[in-house]
Amino acid sequence: MTLINTSVKAGTGSCEGDSLQAAIEVRGLRKTYGPVVAVDDVSFDVTAGEIFGVLGANGAGKTTAVECVQGLRRADRGHIRVLGRDPSDRRRLASHVGSQLQSSALPDRIRVQEAVDLFAIPGAVDSFELLEAWGLAEHRKAAFGDLSGGLRQRVFIALALVNRPTVVFFDELTQGLDPLARHDVWEAIDTVRQRGTTVVMVTHFMDEAEALCDRLAIFDQGRIVATGTPDEIIASEPTTATVSFSWPETQTGRLERCPGVESIHSHGGHTSVIGQPSMVGYVCAALIEAGPPPPDLRITLPTLEDAVVAIEGARR
Amino acid sequence: MTTTSPARSHVGQVVTKNSVAAAIARLLWTELKLVLREPVVLIFVLAFPAMTVLILGGVFSPQDPSFEGIDPSQWFVAAYIGVVIATIGLIMLPVHIAGYRHAGVTQRFRVSRFPPWALPLTHFLVGLIMTGVGIVVLLTVATLSYGIPSVHDPSRTAAGIGLGAMAFISIGVMLGSLLPTARSAQGLGMLLFFPFFLLGGGGPPPDAMGPAMRTVSTWTPLTHVIRAIQEPWLNTGQPTDHLAVTTVILIASMTVWITTARRARA
Repeated sequence: MTLINTSVKAGTGSCEGDSLQAAIEVRGLRKTYGPVVAVDDVSFDVTAGEIFGVLGANGAGKTTAVECVQGLRRADRGHIRVLGRDPSDRRRLASHVGSQLQSSALPDRIRVQEAVDLFAIPGAVDSFELLEAWGLAEHRKAAFGDLSGGLRQRVFIALALVNRPTVVFFDELTQGLDPLARHDVWEAIDTVRQRGTTVVMVTHFMDEAEALCDRLAIFDQGRIVATGTPDEIIASEPTTATVSFSWPETQTGRLERCPGVESIHSHGGHTSVIGQPSMVGYVCAALIEAGPPPPDLRITLPTLEDAVVAIEGARR
Repeated sequence: MTTTSPARSHVGQVVTKNSVAAAIARLLWTELKLVLREPVVLIFVLAFPAMTVLILGGVFSPQDPSFEGIDPSQWFVAAYIGVVIATIGLIMLPVHIAGYRHAGVTQRFRVSRFPPWALPLTHFLVGLIMTGVGIVVLLTVATLSYGIPSVHDPSRTAAGIGLGAMAFISIGVMLGSLLPTARSAQGLGMLLFFPFFLLGGGGPPPDAMGPAMRTVSTWTPLTHVIRAIQEPWLNTGQPTDHLAVTTVILIASMTVWITTARRARA
């Protein structure tokens, strides 16, 4: 995972990386719809070659912010640069920026091959190769309206990458995909990043953000409330780990002495130890010291979702 | 699953006029294919005017005095060029364009290499081409049934057809750009089409109407388009006023959809 120079400005809800390498720069972005402030004083950088995740609940402002960055909405205030250019400069950016939008569609009767040929800049990519890469070659003559949700999503991803963009935006990338297809897409997105493409992902799937993103910005009520790598965000919140296993109640005393343990619950021969994530090693060591480790040992570590819930809950 | 490798390229590279023209040519070809895959479009644009002119051309007596001394079948052939134009402008295009925006197709184009005016311009061109196809089908049916009346003033007749087609296609692009859904576009399109069609020349001739309906008919845009085609074709009057009204409609509606396309970014 790539660690970059990240600074969080208290009060301004910003996260800024190294501006020399920034593929995207956003400063003081504000967007309102009548009296509703959708995005307020948002600043962040996306470093070239990273996967940057934009997380938040519905209505948090993440899609509006990313749409302003793509030039789909005009910001009321703020400075935005994509590859050094104003996002409204579509003439120059069009062939360098790819987008998969949550709210976009294709005509029902267009065929998959026709769609790829329509949106491709001639010579940018071999359309058949692209369709094969995304498992769409056998569906190339199918009408878009006849495709399943998963195949439609693959078409949108293929279209976002059709002109080999330098920066690509994915909005709710894996919505509607089955678990196997989601993992296929994750793998492919990681490959896209490895080849140098900068990826901005809007998602509400925490496991997806944790698995793919180098850095995250968490939006709440139109502002960025946390930023950093997934590990940094998880570590920033006082969330707990749980170790559970079958264990005689009479022996729990030795576990209470483990550093970081906060509470132990025993019932019917099953024990759960709750505490700081650092206690997991001590507890496991204590179990091994006492005899063969329990075969049903299960460790639950704090996740990004726990951290995000804690961050957003603290603001309510 | 594997992916294709991205190519590094210079960000300052501009999408050139030639590449935009090539992209729009491809878009036009794709849109034409999509329109021809819509059975409703084929029925309304190609079958409805031809079928109706066949029926109405035979309903009235050739000596009926309501047709300004013209054989009714010839009167209706000239009038139904306007009906082809109206079906495309009031039914086909608004439903197609509003459906695109409601479903999110327009949004997909906004993040592509196409400039914001590409889609409305393409729909305008598709409308013109479909008008040409519809007129050819209508005249073929007329030739095989009642015959085509000789054209008295070809240049003014062509001007009437060209301006009329552009005006109604502009109305269609405008309605499609403004109405929120395909369903609302279909509702309003039908609501406008049938009065325009019945009072404008597709139904009874003006001389067969009562005074009130005849007055109302002069306020419908299709009346002016049909008269701008019929009068120089059949030598029943001077179409200058009708051409002027049609031109005003064209400029006004075109201004609205061009402005709407330019304001697409909210």
